[in-house]
Amino acid sequence: MSAPIVEFKNFGFRYKTQKSPTLYDINLTIRKGEKVLILGPSGSGKSTLANCINGLNPFSYDGVITGSCKVAGMETKDASIFALSKVVGTVLQDSDAQFVGLSVGEDIAFALENQSVPRKEMLPMVDQAARIVGMEDFLMHVPYDLSGGQKQKVALAGVLHGDVELLIFDEPLASLDPRTGMTAVELIDRIHKEQNKTIVIIEHRLEDVLHRRVDRIVLMNEGRIVYDGDADSLLASDLLTRYGIREPLYIMAMKYAGCGMSPGQKLSDIHQLDLSPFEEKLKKQHLMEIEKHVPKIGEEILRVEDVTFAYGKTPVLKDVSFTIRKGEKVAFVGKNGAGKSTMAKLICGIERPRQGRVLMNGADYMSLSIKEIGEKVGYVMQNPNQMLVKDIIKDEVELAMLLRGKSRKEMDEAVKKTLKMCGLWPMRNWPVSAVSYGQKKRVTIASILVLQPDIIILDEPTAGQDFRHYTEIMEFLDELNREYGITIVFITHDMHLAIQYTDRAVVFAEGEVVADDSVFKVLSDDEVINRANLKQTSLYTLARRLGFEPEAYIEHFINYERMVRVHGKPAAD
Amino acid sequence: MENRLLINLVPGDTFLHRLTGKTKVRTFIILLVYIIMSFDIRLIMPLLILTIIGLVSLKTNWKRVKYFIIVIAAVNLLNIVLFWLADPDIGSYWCGGGNTVLLSLTGRLFLSAETLWYLSVRFIKMITSFMVSLVFILSITPSEMAAGLYSIKVPYKICTIFSIAFRYIPDIARDFNNIKVSLQTRGVELDPKKASLMSRIKQNVLILVPLIITSFDRVGNISNAMDLRGFGRGKTRTYYSEHEELKADKVFKAIHIILLLFCAYWIITQNIMPQTIKMWYPFA
Repeated sequence: MSAPIVEFKNFGFRYKTQKSPTLYDINLTIRKGEKVLILGPSGSGKSTLANCINGLNPFSYDGVITGSCKVAGMETKDASIFALSKVVGTVLQDSDAQFVGLSVGEDIAFALENQSVPRKEMLPMVDQAARIVGMEDFLMHVPYDLSGGQKQKVALAGVLHGDVELLIFDEPLASLDPRTGMTAVELIDRIHKEQNKTIVIIEHRLEDVLHRRVDRIVLMNEGRIVYDGDADSLLASDLLTRYGIREPLYIMAMKYAGCGMSPGQKLSDIHQLDLSPFEEKLKKQHLMEIEKHVPKIGEEILRVEDVTFAYGKTPVLKDVSFTIRKGEKVAFVGKNGAGKSTMAKLICGIERPRQGRVLMNGADYMSLSIKEIGEKVGYVMQNPNQMLVKDIIKDEVELAMLLRGKSRKEMDEAVKKTLKMCGLWPMRNWPVSAVSYGQKKRVTIASILVLQPDIIILDEPTAGQDFRHYTEIMEFLDELNREYGITIVFITHDMHLAIQYTDRAVVFAEGEVVADDSVFKVLSDDEVINRANLKQTSLYTLARRLGFEPEAYIEHFINYERMVRVHGKPAAD
Repeated sequence: MENRLLINLVPGDTFLHRLTGKTKVRTFIILLVYIIMSFDIRLIMPLLILTIIGLVSLKTNWKRVKYFIIVIAAVNLLNIVLFWLADPDIGSYWCGGGNTVLLSLTGRLFLSAETLWYLSVRFIKMITSFMVSLVFILSITPSEMAAGLYSIKVPYKICTIFSIAFRYIPDIARDFNNIKVSLQTRGVELDPKKASLMSRIKQNVLILVPLIITSFDRVGNISNAMDLRGFGRGKTRTYYSEHEELKADKVFKAIHIILLLFCAYWIITQNIMPQTIKMWYPFA
């Protein structure tokens, strides 16, 4: 066994601003060369734990440490963040904000500049670090020209210098599209093997991280470590569901089929897993008749006809056509820059088509102002903090009515109805700043719904949310759709979301619509998946290995899953 | 991304661009001293010609620069007209007491050769100082600026403010646009045809609330990212963007010394020692 690099002993941490500790009784040893995943829902303390290793706690966030934490032999409460940064490299979640240089080369060099490394020595070091992550041809590029994935690579290169032995990745997948996320996981794995670094990954997206092997998983909940062991045993247990972590899709499928799983099996690798003991049950389940989900769909409310759009001379959308009918749940998917967000802006009238038409309830919308379109289509931004402008929840929800000069009576009625729909009525007089992220999201949705639009468009509604919050937000939206017939468009990278909560996916790639079909069809079409930077789900792999038709298998899974979710689980067999 | 600011983020490839940040900052400061110290057209004119040559050599995008040049020229013209209106006889004080009237409108309002000379020199001086700044701004990147300031002993934490500010201005502009768009769909009217100026100002204040909150989030992340990479650890710092001195930088160093000596001579003889004549006037 190699020497430990991180050693927590009876460790606890309490932020100065909080009454009770965020971490309790942490006993954890990470050895040199290990690759460890720290898993846990939001608020479980996993990021706090990472910040105790890299020194941000208590250097940047003041707090009280109990017990001991040694990193490379240094007791962290006595060491400075600078001393720690020589051993520990951290890649933060926000790949944009952490890019402090004005070019790729400068950002990679930032740590070296701060150590006063002479420029002559710095250049080859920057070059080498850039080469490791594959960014050596981009050294002169400015951050604004880079994709999220590229910025993340630069951030990684920036902490690879010198004697850094331990790399911490704080939610590395949060803002990446599925394919880029997969590449990121592969890159981390390659660095682990080729550079002999110790790796700590903080994530709640278990299935994506398991794309490459991890040595150990540490599961956290409410400030304590509740599991510390290998991935296979964790997957065989019921800990994931108990602590609100999303299980990999193939594990869900196997559980639905009633497969008894045990820690000895290679459950963490869908390609290596021996399926022979489960084959019979999986086949039987696949043949089971289940009621097909038929979405309640009304008349056509939005038609986009051959729309072309460009910013300056660069075309962003080319001949895009599709329709949306009342009561539908549609996902806009595709990689960043494929035109999804621009399409949303066009629908809201913020941008107008260069060519083609957008019809709302059969009429061309060119004569309508943004404000008027806002009464038909609502747009909910990804970050609720970018939308909230008032102090009190009720005022926030009221704003759109107020700006339209509605009467007090009309306003009160609409606000009351909307707040009740969104479950916010009891907290209508609360300050916006006092509620959780998920509730803020609800407030933003309510502030849009108050105008009773036909369609609401949500940009990445669950980005950065753990499974519990994800479920909470999505169930709420699903209910709005079921109970009130509200049409919802999701702009998303999340294939789980598209599978579980939408009826149809419009797939964008390079400004064109490359597919417009039910989600299970889209996700079993290799060409579409490649063009749109999507990723095969593990269901596809599972179906292939079992010799099933992937399309039919995914459809069956979706229907079964919906049945379980909406009606509760039917009796097995 | 479209660059709407004058600032270059990527170094260009002309003679002036290739100088080090240190040379650029020092040249700029010395030239400012050189302009400020005199009202002598014999000193100012050559510099104006040099800056025009410099501006042309930068192969800059004229469309971007034209607007600034026109505005600055117009403002300065207005400035000297106001000067003249305030005191038409100002030239006689500066040019040794003469008063050669060229044109007389009323008893108070007249144009003398001396005043015309003084105001022209003043105008050229203003334009030259603008041109020096313009060439400086167009030739330097914010990172080189930080490195250059550091080389003249400005603490590096202050230098970094320059480069960091330019790094995040476009991001904040993007946030601002996003917030604006979301408020517009909710009914905020920012179209000048449909809303009065006052109501537009009020509505823009609404945008500031979320903008400030998101910017604070970002500042937290930025400072963490900087701490984690050891910013502020040492007393000294080096700069990736500051390349080794080339031959041209060494030539500039020699020019700097000569210019500084000349400025010192000029300031002592012309500004500190008492003078009878305030500025050089060839027609006295």
